[in-house]
Amino acid sequence: MSTNPFDSDDDQDTTSCEILEGFLCPICREDLKSIDFLTDHFSRAHAEEEDALKSVFKDIFTKAKKKILNNLNDDRGTSSYSGGSSSATRGGNGEQRNPNNARTRMNVYNFMGKQTVGAECSHFEYFQSVRNPRLERYASETNKLIIRLHRLLKDLPTDAMQRKQHEQQTVAWLDGSSVKLCPDCAKSFHIARRQHHCRLCGGIMCNDCSKFLPLENAMQLASLSSTRSDPIQQVQHDQLGGVRLCHHCLWLLDTRQDMHESRTCRPMLVQVYDQIRQLQKEVMPDLDMYMKIVNSLYEGDSIFTIADASALRGKIGQTAEAIDVRSKRIMAIHSEPGSREEALKKAVRLCCIQTIKERMLSLPPLPDEAQIRQIQERKRMETEQRIQTEQRMAMEAFERYGLGNAATTTAVIDSGSFAQGSDLQSLNNWSAPQTAANVRVDDPLVEQINIIKGYIKQARQEMNFEVVETLEINLRELQREVYERQRRSQNALTPEAEA
Amino acid sequence: MNLISGIKLYIEKMCSESGPGMKIILLDKDTTSIISMAFSQSDMLQREVYLFERIDSGRSNERLKYLKCIVFIRPTKQNIQLLANELRNPKYSAYFIYFSNIIPRTDIKYLAECDESESVREVKELYADYLCVNPNLFSLNISNCMTRLNWLPDALTRSVQGITSVLLSLKLNPVIRYRAGSQASQLLAKLVYDQTTKESTLFDFRSNADGTAPPLLLILDRRDDPVTPLLHQWTYQAMVHELLTIRNNRVDLSERANVPKDFRELVLSGDQDDFYGKNMYANYGEIGSTIKQLMEEFQRKAHDQKKVESIADMKNFIETYPQFKKMSGTVQKHLCVIGELSTLTNKRNLFEVSELEQEIACKAEHSAQLQRIKKLIADERISIDDAIKLVALYALRYERHANCDTSGLLQIIKTRGGRTQIVPSLIEYAGTHVRQGDLFNMVRITDAVKLTRNLIKGLKGVENVFTQHTPLLKETLEDVFKGRELDPIYPAINSELVPFRRPPQEVVVFIVGGVTYEEALSVHQLNNAGYKVILGGTTIHNSESFINEVLMATDGVQFKHTKSMVRYCSSDNL
Repeated sequence: MSTNPFDSDDDQDTTSCEILEGFLCPICREDLKSIDFLTDHFSRAHAEEEDALKSVFKDIFTKAKKKILNNLNDDRGTSSYSGGSSSATRGGNGEQRNPNNARTRMNVYNFMGKQTVGAECSHFEYFQSVRNPRLERYASETNKLIIRLHRLLKDLPTDAMQRKQHEQQTVAWLDGSSVKLCPDCAKSFHIARRQHHCRLCGGIMCNDCSKFLPLENAMQLASLSSTRSDPIQQVQHDQLGGVRLCHHCLWLLDTRQDMHESRTCRPMLVQVYDQIRQLQKEVMPDLDMYMKIVNSLYEGDSIFTIADASALRGKIGQTAEAIDVRSKRIMAIHSEPGSREEALKKAVRLCCIQTIKERMLSLPPLPDEAQIRQIQERKRMETEQRIQTEQRMAMEAFERYGLGNAATTTAVIDSGSFAQGSDLQSLNNWSAPQTAANVRVDDPLVEQINIIKGYIKQARQEMNFEVVETLEINLRELQREVYERQRRSQNALTPEAEA
Repeated sequence: MNLISGIKLYIEKMCSESGPGMKIILLDKDTTSIISMAFSQSDMLQREVYLFERIDSGRSNERLKYLKCIVFIRPTKQNIQLLANELRNPKYSAYFIYFSNIIPRTDIKYLAECDESESVREVKELYADYLCVNPNLFSLNISNCMTRLNWLPDALTRSVQGITSVLLSLKLNPVIRYRAGSQASQLLAKLVYDQTTKESTLFDFRSNADGTAPPLLLILDRRDDPVTPLLHQWTYQAMVHELLTIRNNRVDLSERANVPKDFRELVLSGDQDDFYGKNMYANYGEIGSTIKQLMEEFQRKAHDQKKVESIADMKNFIETYPQFKKMSGTVQKHLCVIGELSTLTNKRNLFEVSELEQEIACKAEHSAQLQRIKKLIADERISIDDAIKLVALYALRYERHANCDTSGLLQIIKTRGGRTQIVPSLIEYAGTHVRQGDLFNMVRITDAVKLTRNLIKGLKGVENVFTQHTPLLKETLEDVFKGRELDPIYPAINSELVPFRRPPQEVVVFIVGGVTYEEALSVHQLNNAGYKVILGGTTIHNSESFINEVLMATDGVQFKHTKSMVRYCSSDNL
């Protein structure tokens, strides 16, 4: 019962963004402190606002539903109550474990049957607390190196002597006079093993311990484009074999480059793969929709038509095709035979084929027109029978009030076409002769119906079947309403209108 | 309480936490088996996990920087070291690290220091550290857990970890009871208890907040019931294990003649194979008729499909193709297995053997049985292994009988060239002296009475002579759920949690020395009756693996209780 004040304040609290606690009135959000006060207040202040309340509830319910669904992942014990039950419970008032709130109870029940993920323990915070200070130190060190590299390479003179000077200006070289041994390999320096300097930290090492950063990479790291530099310079640098660095500096730069690479690496394979995933994601709702349409067709509903289903099927088929083409394209990307990449490509392709086969090509076949007609016929018969029994009861009333049989029979036919038709025809059919019966053509309801029909047509063209469904249902309701009204005005005294 | 969903939920969590994108999963030997029990490869593909790599073998140096890497390993020293090397030189863009059990903080620190390129995105413990065989059965794949009748240290550690992870994945903080007098189960119980108290924040599930009795962890010893693993089994899963051996839900048929190429290795997973799921507890006779039905149904369908006349028919055929193939695959597979089983049953005269086994296990008729055994084991049509098992059952049953003639029977075995040392080893492992206990442990006597009662239980109410025997475990569990006094035989190690005479709602049983599929069946029956029981053991035994374990466990022990069989103890007469 939607007018139950307790139900309402449950949902109210969970949905409003700021959490209000206590016995709140769902309309004016006043805290009434206890159930009695709240009931009292409600019956006095809002008795006539029932309709307004309903719309409030509608809104709340959808929100609450979302909220509750979100809570499903939470721990069983807490969420079942915090999600659905009132904050008054949390406020310490134990008696308010609302037995009326069927939805809450259902959630608890669902939890019973469903196993939640077991215990877990994350160490990532601790891991970060150890890792990050180290990384920050490295990062600042690396940044310093990159700034130096930038300065060093920015306008590097071509002449060897000048270059040396430029290098020493940028980074002060350590004084090598007192250094007798290479700090890296501990071999002594002499004529044959001369001292060298790291161009980025100025440290000393022997030639064997020096590393060279290719100029290309260096330029990239320093965010300078090498295309601008003049070709002669390029040749000279090539002879040079890159920038001389010590082991440590090179490692820092390498790590940086590596990280950069792994963050920005998007080869062809990944791009095509992302397209495939996108397609798969897009087709999922279509698949569900298709199942729904087929089911409804077999049920004999007339919300959807065969044309809808086959159009959707065509669309799914196209997507399957697109996925297939892309997975083939992945296979065509070159990679070393026997490599992991090759295995990866095969796995992706296999997965695509599986998905296509199991999800997209194994769709249940559509019933053909004849079958549908049969099913609908059967359903109509059932409906007719039901209506006829009702009519029979109504008939007695009619006869009592001296109304002709004619009206009844039209009603039977009308309801028949109503069950079948989603077209305007059915509406016109029975609205035309009844214009005499106080229904004007410019009835706002009829107008509304026509508008909705337009929308449905549009939605069909766009294959937006969810919208089609809601609109169709709305349409049914409207048509029913119009029909009811007409019947009522015709047989004003007939008590049993279709509920 | 479903172990398979326990593992599945964990793995799904791993896959979803790492976000969208292509993934590789890095596993070790054990976690590979753990995952393979719950997921098929195509399941993993659907979760965007395209590559599998073992951290401990066959690694390539290929860098695939566009892949995310899920690492799921056991927290062993060796794995930590391998992972550290990987992190120092990362091949993939991001690492999501999951340990299958509790990991020391120092190891986390060490790994953090190795992650110099900031590629680790998550470090977590997810307690998927056991092999889920059935929804209510787990194994740790420790084929030998004892040496000289004491724990092997590695096996003990693994068992503690395995039990801990089962408890954590099902969110249980149990009362721990162990089999009094069994040193192995007592030690294990103590170590599990230590673990739960040390990690008390992890085990804080507030399970008994609403007044229900806490769950129970019952640690038993295989040495209490050596009979069950020796008997021949007739339910599908148990029978396949006994005759063909199931390893990690896989049956290897490559050695068998006349097996089609596709069925060299079969996966038997109740989770993925609907037919198996429905029939794994069905007995041999039932399964035969079920398969026949299925085949007829299939043939009918196949027959139907042959009448493909119109294009529409063909289309229909293609449209139903996946299900068609799936169905045909399952039927053929099980037909193949059943075929093998029936060949073996006939070849080894198993009906005759099994009937006698069951009678020895359930009825006391010494002289009559002795005559039948003598006749059967001398028969060349009976395989020597089955003959030894018969003698072993006799020896266990009539160990203290005045006219016990085990030596005479062993002589026959010896002339047939069988391994006679199995019988004395088995007596040393699980003879009456173990089951009965000594002066300081009077409680064992009551248990011995119980075992006898169990053994004596007659044919009453049993229709099938091949399945008269019910394992001791079933009776134990019935006692538990009836709320019988457990303290004398199964003392609790953390008695502060013990409720006053209230039976537990959930029970986890762990059998040191391995479980059997027959016991799994009993647990399944109890679960069907509305109880919640999980069964696990160091491994899942069939008679062959059990005998091997017994031989290993008693190797090097001085035999004190089998003086009369001393002639048959040495293994030289092989």
